[in-house]
Amino acid sequence: MDLLRTSVATIESDSEPYTLVELAGEADVTNSDALREMLDTEVAKQPRMVIIDLSGLRFMDSSALHVILRANRVLDRQGGVLALASPREPVAKMLRLTAADQLIPVYASVSEATAG
Amino acid sequence: MAESPAGAGAFRHVAFFYRTDDDYAATVAGFLRGGLAAREPAFVALPPGKGRLVADALAADAPGVEFADMTEIGSNPARIIPRVLEFTGRHAGRHVRYVGEPIWASRGPAELREATRHEALINLAFTGADAEILCPYDTGSLAPAVLADARRTHPLLLTDSGPGTSPDYAVPFRLPSSCSVPLPAPPYTAMSYTYRTDLSQVRALVQKHARNAGLSDARVNDLVLAVSEVAANTLRHTRSSGTLTIWYDHDEIVCEVHDDGVITDPLAGRRRPAPDAPGGHGLWLVHQVCDLVELRSDNTGTTIRMHMLIRPRKPPD
Repeated sequence: MDLLRTSVATIESDSEPYTLVELAGEADVTNSDALREMLDTEVAKQPRMVIIDLSGLRFMDSSALHVILRANRVLDRQGGVLALASPREPVAKMLRLTAADQLIPVYASVSEATAG
Repeated sequence: MAESPAGAGAFRHVAFFYRTDDDYAATVAGFLRGGLAAREPAFVALPPGKGRLVADALAADAPGVEFADMTEIGSNPARIIPRVLEFTGRHAGRHVRYVGEPIWASRGPAELREATRHEALINLAFTGADAEILCPYDTGSLAPAVLADARRTHPLLLTDSGPGTSPDYAVPFRLPSSCSVPLPAPPYTAMSYTYRTDLSQVRALVQKHARNAGLSDARVNDLVLAVSEVAANTLRHTRSSGTLTIWYDHDEIVCEVHDDGVITDPLAGRRRPAPDAPGGHGLWLVHQVCDLVELRSDNTGTTIRMHMLIRPRKPPD
């Protein structure tokens, strides 16, 4: 089984459609290139909003964080928005310690993220 | 204490050798009062008992000073410089005063080495800064070797015989030799694991042993993050394998990572990287979550020893 599993869906909601990326397992330097390619592909579609659901992610290191911050920068330049949803405590703490949570909004759930 | 002459490069880093509580309170409060008239920002990080002495001596002037508990912010001495930089950053363009006492007698040998390294690195981190830093040293309880190192890490001294320059201060910058003594060998009961790309296995091993050692779940996660970040550097920066060694006793668990990489920046991990910086978060995270970190690096490789306490350390008297 892959260390990091990803899935992508476009969700049609009442307000606006958004891209939902689900990450599960462990995200680290050994799979950050694959994560970068996946996020680059989605960001290149110029979505208005991308939500990354972290609820299945047991571990994230700074390599994976850099990939997410990079996607945030590109999306921001395109006028889009990136949000993170439901990180488990180890991932949430890492986002706090790096102050990444000051750059990317972090929500307790995907539905809170869609409500903005 | 004499004011620094205007425009003469305001950075001053003074070791204050004290004997009595009265001497302590009067000198530290006097140093702080020297800046309060000009509304200079002042930050004080001391063990709690010493902080109370200073607050009492400052009396009505105390609210103009920001206090922190050094046994918290400096439990890992590598977290002090970023905390002071955070303070000076909030007061950019101002002349600031900082009083920090990171060294006390009940610290263990590894802690004392790292606190001494911190004192030396102050001179690098604040080169050219418009800051006056006063570091009290308890001559009654600290070992002579610790006081000798304070003379090596501080360009200025304040002793019984008054203020003066320290003849032992190393120029250009050099760490005291006590900071780079070889690390004691791990106990023979330590387990070792050689990794290449299997970081998940590295994390699983750390988690298993940290739980067995008795760390709380949250601190198990902290140690897993720290070791994983250091092991990730092996993959990022070397072409060879790395070795993880783990041991623990009733007091602490230690995880050591050794690889062929070389770390040349003595301040690595002691300056908060911008959140969107393309690198530099690894060692920052390691220092933020670990209770003590020892690092030895030369052209033969790098060893990083991460300590997590199972029982709290003895507080300073």
